Amino acid sequence: MRVDLTEFHDELRSVARGLLGDARARADGAELPTPIDWALLAESGWVGLEVPESLGGSGGSFAEQAVILHELGRTVTMSSYLGSAVLGVGALALLEPSPGRDELLRRVTAGDLRVAVAVETGDDGVGGDPAPFRLDRAGGGLRLDGRAAFVPDATGVELLVLARDPESAFVVVHVALDASGLHIAEQPVLDATRSLGEVLADGIEVSDSSIWRFRSDPGTSAQRLVDRGALAIACDSLGLAEAMVEATVSYTAERRQFERPIGSFQAVKHACADMLVKVLVSRELIDAAVQAVAGGDADASTAVSMAKSYACDAAVDVVGKALQLHGGIGYTWESGIHAYLKRAMLNRSLFGAPAAHRRRLAGRYGAGPLASSQA
Amino acid sequence: MATSDLEEFRAEARRWCQAHIPADWRQTQVGVSDEEDVSFQKAWFQELRKAGYAVPHWPREWGGGMSVAEQIVLYQELAAHDAPRLVLAFVSIHHAASTLLAAGTEEQRRRHLPAILDGEIWVQGFSEPEAGSDLASLRTTARREGDAFVVNGQKLWASGAAHADWCLLLARTDVTAPKRKGISYLLMDMRSPGVDVRPIRNASGEWHFCEIFLNDVVIPASQLVGPENEGWRVAQETLSAERGMTMLELSERLGNAGFRWLVEECSRARPDGLRLLDDALVQDGLAALETEIAGLRLLCRGLVERHEAGTAGPVEASVVKLFYSELLQRMMDFGTEVVGLAAQTSLHKPGSSGWESGAWALDFIGSWEWTIPGGASEIQRTIIAERGLGMPREPEVAR
Repeated sequence: MRVDLTEFHDELRSVARGLLGDARARADGAELPTPIDWALLAESGWVGLEVPESLGGSGGSFAEQAVILHELGRTVTMSSYLGSAVLGVGALALLEPSPGRDELLRRVTAGDLRVAVAVETGDDGVGGDPAPFRLDRAGGGLRLDGRAAFVPDATGVELLVLARDPESAFVVVHVALDASGLHIAEQPVLDATRSLGEVLADGIEVSDSSIWRFRSDPGTSAQRLVDRGALAIACDSLGLAEAMVEATVSYTAERRQFERPIGSFQAVKHACADMLVKVLVSRELIDAAVQAVAGGDADASTAVSMAKSYACDAAVDVVGKALQLHGGIGYTWESGIHAYLKRAMLNRSLFGAPAAHRRRLAGRYGAGPLASSQA
Repeated sequence: MATSDLEEFRAEARRWCQAHIPADWRQTQVGVSDEEDVSFQKAWFQELRKAGYAVPHWPREWGGGMSVAEQIVLYQELAAHDAPRLVLAFVSIHHAASTLLAAGTEEQRRRHLPAILDGEIWVQGFSEPEAGSDLASLRTTARREGDAFVVNGQKLWASGAAHADWCLLLARTDVTAPKRKGISYLLMDMRSPGVDVRPIRNASGEWHFCEIFLNDVVIPASQLVGPENEGWRVAQETLSAERGMTMLELSERLGNAGFRWLVEECSRARPDGLRLLDDALVQDGLAALETEIAGLRLLCRGLVERHEAGTAGPVEASVVKLFYSELLQRMMDFGTEVVGLAAQTSLHKPGSSGWESGAWALDFIGSWEWTIPGGASEIQRTIIAERGLGMPREPEVAR
């Protein structure tokens, strides 16, 4: 039995839309996007949506984060929400309570600091190994080695890394920023609305107290963490695709050629109808995946792979068509459509390309005939 | 309904399927005569009816009453156990029933709904030679004479008309009104004098499409559905309801029968020992199809649920029809391509099979029967853009 949170989600969405709309207006015309004020996000309670009430959060689930992610996508907002709220809070919530972990969660929720999580964000994270780091025994202690590329919001924040311990079990390591052997570098990408970085651990000495363990099965938990990242990206792509459909419908109703609005031509209408259908199918797949992830369903990965592969492919198509239908204006920097296209392209590759997710889906066919009923 | 009750129902439906679906129907129904096909269809309908599975989507008082969740489970089990499809009764239990339930008189419902359960077959008489996508330009006339209408004209693409007892007929009752304002919706007895049915062979070689010639056919005025001259509105309003219901079954079939066979087809070892499934492109194609089918099933379920709640949007039915028909076509194309030359050797598909019969190449051809009728894909896109997105209309002609 799922609790119906529709009304609460509608309210959250409407508040978010108001707030992000204003933020975007302020940033308009700037050469580079302006990050949204992190304190504002934290004050609004968006960072701690999934944090237990005892630690200052609102005790919700991924379903509430999905609402915010959708709105951030709609407005191609620059923020550390992916790194700090989706992955950071998400990772901490999966861990066994401990004074260090609780304190970090409380401070992140309050907006005092941000936290990044270095996980595999490429194709290898999809059904492969999501941990880019490993812990080895050296002398009397433990050493951390590994490298993670394209880590969301990695610079200037607290750092957690997903690693395998000497017994090969997944753990999360809290790495001090001044640790010897730690190198974090910004990785510039075309999409200026996202901040990605490379995290390199070269023989970092790690104390026992900074190794945090998962509350439930480590393998499942690690997979859940990267699945959260993939689904978050899908929500973002859905939001930005939806915004592009609206912008295109509105523009083609205004723009006149041959003495009529270009939106009255069937070639334009049919393209918009196809854009809408893709958005609607994406929405269904994402809603189902969000429910599966929020409910901790055993086969949530399947729903995530379907949502991520379809919605991220669809978003690139939709934005591309939006640019085409905006004509020459759409190709200008000023129109801002380029920002949507770049974010949609990055989204498609981040946390597993569509082909990688489809490969994971196809892995389920190999074991023989499918189960007869998939409710 | 609680999950445990639903699972209990699934077990019940599964037991029924195991006990009642003839194991050899695919073999026995290949190449059967028209008469054998009709009698098999009618017998299967009665078998389902006895179990309460023939019209699960109807209101309880008329013999249905299953929740959306139960219907989905039923359709999943029927498809998973490869049940024959209700081809002959399709228009009767969907289009005819939803029209009568939404717009018919109590007398019309009493006359026809129980009869449909007893095997009364219906056909849709909408399209005409000059009224395809532009259905509202239909020319068949129904002239009022006392308490009857006298009908003259020609209908086209009437699927199953050769075996139909009754016809859902759209005819023009006011030739002076704008084209959508002068149409009436009538129930026509196919045995009336002046009705002449001629089958047309379609691209896949079958004969189920028919022309219906109407020559001074007399229809009592009591067989008018809804107000005179408002037949266009009646037809439009029942469309969304019926589409949701039909699609629920078809989408579960696509997922639980069609896709399963496609995977089985690709899993079979070929003479060289390799399987199609070992090919990365085949894997990718299968996963893309499975994903789209999952999206379709969710869309259908949402449409039916929102329709029941009265919150369905104006174009949800069009979105589902467009997406289903084109997905069916892509999937059958994929099946035909990967199965290769072997797909070219299935010269007949079994009677009573669905739109995915396993004869991939014939099913690919048959998929145009979904992208063209009932509003071609191009018409659906225009509807979605104009009514769903509010885009500007074409600047011309009265509608």
